[in-house]
Order: sequence, then structure tokens, then C-alpha cells
Amino acid sequence: MTAACRTPPVPSEVEEAIVLEQDLGRAGGSLFFPAEVEAYRLRLIELKAGFEVERAKFAWFRDYGPIQASFRRLLEEGGGILERVASAKNSRSDTFKTAARELEERVARLKAITGFFNENEAIRPYVTQAEIKLAEARLQGEKENYPEALKSAAEGMSFVEKAREAAGVVLARYLDPDELARWRRQAEDTVAATQAGGKVAFVVNKIERTLTVYRRGKAVASFGIGLGRFGLSDKLFSGDEATPEGQYRVVQKFPNSTFYKALLINYPNDLDRQEFAAAKRRGAVPEGATIGGAIEIHGGGRDNLTMGCVGLENGDMDEVFRWAEIGTPVTIVGALTVEGTILEDLRKFGKNG
Amino acid sequence: MKKTFTKNLVVILALAFVVAACKQPTALIDSAKAAIEDVTKGGADKYAVEELKALNDDLTKAMDEVNAQDKKFFKKFGTAKDMLTQLATKAAELKAQIPAKIEAAKNLAVQLQGEAQTALTEAKDLLAKAPKGKGTAKDLEALKADLTGAETAFAEIQAALDGSDFNGAKDKAMSVKEKAAAIAEQVKAAIEKVKK
Repeated sequence: MTAACRTPPVPSEVEEAIVLEQDLGRAGGSLFFPAEVEAYRLRLIELKAGFEVERAKFAWFRDYGPIQASFRRLLEEGGGILERVASAKNSRSDTFKTAARELEERVARLKAITGFFNENEAIRPYVTQAEIKLAEARLQGEKENYPEALKSAAEGMSFVEKAREAAGVVLARYLDPDELARWRRQAEDTVAATQAGGKVAFVVNKIERTLTVYRRGKAVASFGIGLGRFGLSDKLFSGDEATPEGQYRVVQKFPNSTFYKALLINYPNDLDRQEFAAAKRRGAVPEGATIGGAIEIHGGGRDNLTMGCVGLENGDMDEVFRWAEIGTPVTIVGALTVEGTILEDLRKFGKNG
Repeated sequence: MKKTFTKNLVVILALAFVVAACKQPTALIDSAKAAIEDVTKGGADKYAVEELKALNDDLTKAMDEVNAQDKKFFKKFGTAKDMLTQLATKAAELKAQIPAKIEAAKNLAVQLQGEAQTALTEAKDLLAKAPKGKGTAKDLEALKADLTGAETAFAEIQAALDGSDFNGAKDKAMSVKEKAAAIAEQVKAAIEKVKK
């Protein structure tokens, strides 16, 4: 009776290979290397069938040697897959952590850039979607669902890219060297004109959000300013909420204004009228739109969104009002330089890709 | 002669019985594995992760028992067979529970979608009535744009639900809800700023 059990022992590799298949399953092998795991499974079925054929033979005809060797090879392959799964798992966890960190950092930088200007309508929705994707990725990462987590992080990154592109559209003019050179020339001419006779001039820099007072060619005071909802655009017509760019002068002083104190400038000047007429001819302004006016430097706070005026804190307005006289030159430029401004941040942001 | 034949037959049958008793319960092993595979394909890997892990652990234990017996001179696969039978029963029970688990996941996702919608509506209402006073106009405009982004992301929840990706829908809903709540808080802070 016992002789029947005293057959050549079943090679332990058979069971080991079966257990390894389960280990691969538990380790999530098919998530990481589906083709390899499936190949292992099929080969195991094949070898098990071969083993059963061998086992069905009479004990003295049984030779487990060849099938045992095949199982050993399969075990080596399976062990290799398991190692790769473990390594891929660690690597995906690390990759995800890096991706999440990078996304978080880029979202924070974008928020800092967009927090600086008001033209956010086309940009911030993308930033928010990137933030939501980051939150989603984190939830999936907590569940060790790294393929989905990485996918969400990648989607978040594509929203960051869209936001960057939208910001690039808003700031494109500001990165144009010709436009920068033109603004610099206007500002330099205005400052140069203050050399003689102790005259005063104001230079408003939109990107830096400053109003600088110049006298005898030197900056003597500088104040933070606020602009309108589309303050970075050059004013073209009434109601566009843009702030005009160009060389103007103070034409009226209002010591008591709705906005504390105000200095009216001569917008539109001749150049503005020419540009408006040209824009109207090419249909770039709404039908019935007028060129507008009543552009002021006023108080009321710089956090308020103006309709195209330059807003200052009341205390600062007191000082500017004192410096101003009827005829004081006011030059409004987009930017004077890229370096040290959000333009540089945006440029770097793009390069960091 | 007849007596010898009967005697031999008894010996052969007894031998056959012993051989049969020494064999691994392969059919049970295969059916247990098939049951696990079946329940996995049914959605257990997504909606009954813990239970599926427990089943796989049970299978490992059963296989350990099979392996241990296989090495013995007198093999007794009774315990292993019981374990495998219980395992197949548990897998079948779990399979029967999967539709309910999927339904529960769907309900949770739908509930969270509703909560995300409520959070968005609250933020929107707050934004609509927030006074655009000194120091808030710019912030409120930015928050309005943020809310637009959250509303766009909200649409993805329904897309996930439509695609029967209930876990995905849940994660999306939670993320949108969190963002909408954060926007609402920022709007409240802006309103407070005006009051001061």
C-alpha cells in the first residue's frame, strides 16, 4: 500500500511556481507588467499539464527531471518579474511623489504670477483645475493606485501648461523687445525733460505696478498702484477697462473727488485718436463704441479694480497730489525691463517646462 | 480461483484508493483559483479590495497546507480540502455581494457629487452677494475665475459616473468639494475684510 506513495517525490518547484503566481497577483504584477505575468500564467498551466502527464505514469516510468528543470526556469523568470514589480512599485511611488511635488510647486508659482495681475479670467480656471487634479492624484496615491495617480498628476500638469500659455497671451506684448524699447524711450524722454528747471514728471509702470516721481532726472518717490480688470491692455475704447499707454500730462486737479483726490490726464491724445480711428476701420472696436476719457490718477486704494484709471492708497495720493501741477507729464508704460519682474518669472516658468 | 480473483480485486481497489487519497486536490485548487479570478473580474479588485486580499491569503494558507501534506509520507489532504472548499464558498459569497458593493460605491460617489454641487452653489452664492468694496474687487474677480475652474472640473464627476468609474468619481467629487469649500472660505474672508 505505501509503495504507491513511495513514488519519486513531487518536485517542490511545482508548488513554488504556483505560490509565485499568487505572489505576483498579490503584488499587483498584472498592473505593472501585464504581458509578462500573463505569459508566466500560461507557461505555468502548460508545465502543470506536463507535470500531470508525468505523474500519471507508473512510478517506475516516471521521470520528473525535465519538467523539474522547466519549472526551475519558470521560477527564475517569475522571481525576476516579482523583483521588477517590487522595484517598479517603489519607483512609481517615488515617481508619483516627485510628480506631485513638481505639480504643487508649479501651481504655487503660477498662483503667485497670476496673483499679481487682474487678467485672470482665462488663466485661473486652469490653475484651479490643476489644483483639483493634484488633490485627486493625492487621493489615488494614498491608495497606492500609482498608475491613476500619475495620470491625474500628468493631467494637472497639462492644465498648468494651458494656464502658462494663457498667461503668455496676456503678457505677450510685454515680452516683445520692440515694445519694451518703445516704452523705455518714452520713459527716458519724460525723465530727461525733468533735468531742466526742477520740473516733475510721473512714470507709471504697469507691470511693476508703480508710479514713480522724477525730478531733475532722478526718481524721488515711488508708490504702489492698482489698475483695472484689463489694466495690462492699452486702452482703445470706452468701457474696455484698460489703462492707456503713452505720454500724457495732468490737465486738471480735483482735491475733492469720489476717489478721494484725483488728477485728470489728457487721454485721449492725438495718437490715441489715430489708433482708435484705425481700430474702428478694421473693426477692432465694438460698433458704436466711443474712445472714452476721464482717465485719472486717483485715491481710493490700489486694491480696487478701476475702470482704466490708476488707483493709489489715499496717503500716497496726498503726496502725488502735492507733486502734481497742471501740465505735469505722465508717461504710462507697460514695462521697462523683463528682469526682476513677473515677466522674468513667466519666462523662467516656461523654460523649466 | 474465484477466491484469488476477489482477493486481488480488493487489493487493487485498496491500492487505487490509497493512490487517489495521496493525490493533491487539484480540482479543488483549480476551482478555488477560478472562483477568485471570477470574483476579481467581477470588480472585487476595485470594490472589495480587503475581502479579495483575505481570499488570496486564505488561498496561500490552503496551498501551504497542500504543500506540507505533499511532503509527508502519509498524505492527508482533508484539511486542505476543507480550506479550499470554504474558500470557494467565501469567494462565491463575495461574488454575490459585489453588485451591492458597486451600488454602494456608486451611491457614495453620487452623494459626494451632490455635496460638491452644494459646495459650489454656496461659493457661487457667496460670490454673488459679496460686496466689491475696497480691497476685495480684485480678490473676488480672481475667486470668480477659480470657481469657473472648479465648475469645469465638476463636469468630470458625471463623466466618471457615466463610465461606471465610481471610485474615480468619488475622488473627483471629493477634490472639487474641497476646492469649492476653500473658495467659499476665501470669499467669506474677503467679505470680512470689507466689514472691518
